[in-house]
Amino acid sequence: MRARRLAPPQAILAALLVAALALVAIELGKGAAVEPGPKLADPCRPREAHVSGLDATIQRIVLDGLDGAACRLHTTREELVLSLGGADGRPRRWSDHTIEVALRAGLLRAVDEAVRRGDLPGFAVPFLRRLIETAPLDRLVKGGITLSDLLR
Amino acid sequence: MTSTPSRPDRSSSALALFVAAAVAIAFADSSVVVLALPQLYVQFHTTIEGVAWVVTTYNAAVAVAALGLIMFVHRLSATAVLVAGLVVFMAASIACSLAGGLGFLIAARTVQGVGAALLLAGALPVLAVLRGSAARGARVWTLAGTFGLALGPALGGVLTQAFDWRAIFAAQAPIAALGLVAAARVRGEAFVEEGWRPSLARLLPANLCLGLVFGALVGALFLAVLLVITGWGHSPIAGAAIVSILPAATLLARPLAARLPRLTAVYGGASLLTAGLVGLALLPFASIWLAMYALALCGFGLGLAVPILSDLALDLGAGLTRSGTLTIGVRHLGLVLALALIAPLLASELPAASDRALLRATAVLLDSPVGLSKKVPVALDLRGAFAQARQGEIPDLSRPFDAHGARHDRQLAATRDSLIGTIESTITRAFRPAFFLSAALAALAALVAFLFRRRIVS
Repeated sequence: MRARRLAPPQAILAALLVAALALVAIELGKGAAVEPGPKLADPCRPREAHVSGLDATIQRIVLDGLDGAACRLHTTREELVLSLGGADGRPRRWSDHTIEVALRAGLLRAVDEAVRRGDLPGFAVPFLRRLIETAPLDRLVKGGITLSDLLR
Repeated sequence: MTSTPSRPDRSSSALALFVAAAVAIAFADSSVVVLALPQLYVQFHTTIEGVAWVVTTYNAAVAVAALGLIMFVHRLSATAVLVAGLVVFMAASIACSLAGGLGFLIAARTVQGVGAALLLAGALPVLAVLRGSAARGARVWTLAGTFGLALGPALGGVLTQAFDWRAIFAAQAPIAALGLVAAARVRGEAFVEEGWRPSLARLLPANLCLGLVFGALVGALFLAVLLVITGWGHSPIAGAAIVSILPAATLLARPLAARLPRLTAVYGGASLLTAGLVGLALLPFASIWLAMYALALCGFGLGLAVPILSDLALDLGAGLTRSGTLTIGVRHLGLVLALALIAPLLASELPAASDRALLRATAVLLDSPVGLSKKVPVALDLRGAFAQARQGEIPDLSRPFDAHGARHDRQLAATRDSLIGTIESTITRAFRPAFFLSAALAALAALVAFLFRRRIVS
């Protein structure tokens, strides 16, 4: 039995419908069904990171400190950063004082962790701890221009 | 009424072209202003809801005026209805172009919609006279309407970028004037009195399908344009270039629609429109090519389904004027109802998506190899850019990076590109429920066509 052939207009319509299915397949193949990254990490769980050099170590301490503060405040590191330096029209979840206390505690804990990992030479620890306890963290909270000032 | 088909002469063809251009522009007006909405927003210091009324009032006015006209339009001179519509439409277009405030613009758009309803209702029988038969006149009216509707956003984008949003309305006045010249030169009366009033009930299934298809087109004509302009940050002219695939595909589908069995064309058109809208809903990231692919499918769907459904929704005999008026009202009612459903859905999704996008962007930034002294300041500047977006402005996400040296810092530039991609992907997906709702309307049109297949083609 010979297969029935589609007339040209029907064939064109069928091709268009196949093209429509192909579009959906392409989009699913490119991740349409998957949430776009990055996924916000749990700040209470340690992150994998290998650092070398003083600048990278200081950066890791500050980021770990932000994680620690975010964990204390039951939020994410990202939301905490966006709460710094004024609310910019967004409702504020924490007072400046709350953020400052959480950040100082988080940074101190991050220094301890860096020492435990062997990332930080022992002679720098007292200096860093004093800096974290006394540095004008309110500059970070209100303007946040240079976190590195804190550790300079 | 001219009941015996006769060959139109060259001058009648030219007059018909002018009237068809007015019909096209009246249909295009449903969506022509979409690409200009950000400009209107800034100029009039208003809210997003306020500026959306510029689109909604026009379509609502066309729907209400057309549905109100059904009862008595057949007792009026079609030429007089056309002339009245063109005069009102032209005057309101000029008023829109001169508007000094949003309230005045919305009022002028409402009047323009009333003029458009009269223009469209009167143009159908006049085109029948000019083309020598009701069938030929209806074909020109349908083609002009379908193409005009599809062309609207692209036309508006080009005029907005080349001149100003006012150019959109200023450009319509001469087209209406040419239509007036044509209407004044129509020889013989066009369908003054149709005598008896055949029931329009049998035309309702086809009109219901048309209303649903027009509702679904909110996805292709409005949402896709908003996504490209406000979500992906393209200029109005670039947006116009992207959405121009829609009218191009609509035109390409025309010969195919003529060769397919009518129900097949309707099913196929509604299915392609559904698939195109699903394609827009499933966009995984900001991709011009995938968006154009999906819009092309929408254009083919529009070009297949609308001309056939328009033919089926028109009574080419004694009820031509009334059936034309009914279908104008139902189409625009479909647009308005879909806007009423889709706009709040999008408005509820976008703020949450904006917050998600900002958090993800901050995560990208904090994990990037950029120096610590730039991470927090850039993140806070980005927060400021997003605050602008919440107020309706299109944020320039590159500016915070450029302000901190991205032009010379390759690492910062790479982070900027990755971060903008993350933000665009998140915003793109915020449009997903609204696109899916549009697709559901198109699928419903196919279902209605199937359920009423005997009545539709009878």
